[in-house]
Order: sequence, then C-alpha cells, then structure tokens
Amino acid sequence: MKKLIKKISQFIKKILIGDLFIIFIFIVLTGYLSSILWNFPQGEYLKIQMGKQEIGSFSLNQNLTKIIEGPIGKTEVIIESGKVRISKSPCTKKYCIYQGWINQLNQIIVCVPNQISISIIGNQSDYDSLNY
Amino acid sequence: MTRSIIKINNQDHKIAKLAAIAIALSIIEFFLPSPIPGVKPGIANIIILFTIIKFDFPTAVWVSIIRVFVVSIIVGTFLGPTFFLSLSGSLFSLMFLFLFKNINGKYFSVISLSLIAAFAHIIGQFLIVRLWIIPHDGIFYLLPIFMISALIFGLVNGIATRALLTLNTK
Repeated sequence: MKKLIKKISQFIKKILIGDLFIIFIFIVLTGYLSSILWNFPQGEYLKIQMGKQEIGSFSLNQNLTKIIEGPIGKTEVIIESGKVRISKSPCTKKYCIYQGWINQLNQIIVCVPNQISISIIGNQSDYDSLNY
Repeated sequence: MTRSIIKINNQDHKIAKLAAIAIALSIIEFFLPSPIPGVKPGIANIIILFTIIKFDFPTAVWVSIIRVFVVSIIVGTFLGPTFFLSLSGSLFSLMFLFLFKNINGKYFSVISLSLIAAFAHIIGQFLIVRLWIIPHDGIFYLLPIFMISALIFGLVNGIATRALLTLNTK
C-alpha cells in the first residue's frame, strides 16, 4: 500500500506545470461551452387550445388557476412561478396530470379526451421537429 | 518468381508494425460496448502520440492514415459516414499535433499533446457532422458530452502514452 502511494505521488510530481495549465484550460472551456449550449430557452407565454378553438394566451409570470370547460368536463390548469401543469382532469388515464410541470419553449401538454392542449410559446419560434 | 520492384526499407517496416498495433487497438475498441453511442476512448491515439515522440511526425501521419483506412475496411464502414468522421477527426488531430508538437519538453509533456489531439478530433468530427451529415445547429447540444469524454480519455491516453514512453526508454 505504501509503495502504491509512493508511486502515485511520484507520478503526480511528474505531471508538468504546462500539463496542469492545459488541463485547466480544457476544463474551463468545457464548462463554459456546456453552460452556453445547455441553456435552453424559457418560454414566456402559454397558449391554451380546446380542439381548434384558442381559449387564450397567458403570461407564465403569474400565479393563476384556470378552469376550462371541455367536452367531457372541467380541466384545471395551474400556472405558478414560471411553469404550468394540469392539476385536475376528467379523463381516465390522467397522462396530462402525470406529465407534470412544463416551462421550456415549445413544450406541450395534451389531454386528448378533453381536447385540451397547453403549449408554451416565446418571442422567437424554435424548431418543432428534427428530421434527418 | 518475379522480384518485387518496390524496395522495402526499415522505415516501411516501422510504419507497418506501428500501424498494425494501432489497427489492433482500434478493432478491440470497436467491439467494446460504449455507454453513449459515439463516445470512444480512442486508444489508438496512444500509438500515434508514441510515434510522434519516439520517431517523427511523417511516420505518425502514415500510421494514422493507414489505421483509418484499414480499420474502416475491416469493420465495413469504408466510404460511409463513419469513415469520413474518423478520417476528418484524425486529420484534425494530426494538424493540431503538427502545430503543437514542439511544446513537448520542459513545461509540457505528452499528456498535453494527448488532450490537444482529443479535442482536435472532436472539432474535426463536429465540422463534418454539422456541414454534411446533420446540417442543423441542434447537434451542438451534444458537444459538451463529447468534450467531457475527450477530457477524460485524453488524460487517460496521455498517461498511458507517458507510461509507454518511460517503459521504452529503460
């Protein structure tokens, strides 16, 4: 065990100052690019639709509980601190509720039985599909 | 029996031996499962770096290019997208190694070279992917994953090359 520690310490001593410099530069570069590239755009408004009919646009920066009358019953939508979810729904499978909160641009919650969809829109339009 | 017109000298033998090791390492790597598709350790780079330090730069170019071609033929991706990714990565790696090969010395060691080569490889591959295979900016979301892997494997390969070089001088 002591031998191993000695070997490791010898090895660390052999790493030159320039290597540490290069490693540091690359770590900083990776961190910086990650922070730029993984900064997903946040939406500012949400749009609620029932079928093809648009019910309205609401700002995400408010606390609001909205009840929408759909074909099979009442759906409750909660907007809170920049994100939105469906909290009550008359549908049987409750997929729309399980999806939870959404807050990023072009995310969408759809409740098919009650024909309600909530999509988040921003100032600029992002891509909605990637094709190859 | 006709005699070979091509004269084979020691340099050719050296290139062939080094390329054979690099090819073997690449093929081992090809069969290793990877947690994220596309992230590979690039252990053949050890041989390229070893060649640059131990011999000279032209030999390393030969070894690298032969490796890319032969591995793609064996694995079956010759002239496919994977082949061009590999080729452009290798060429970028070599280009950056050519620019930085003289820093190896008092302050910088082969670990720096390995890291530079790994990052250059990523740059080369992303250029090809962005310009030709998937012309969409969305792929840049993947860049940090590849950069982190380049950092880790560049470091590991550099340390391995260093160990190989110290073993070889004894």
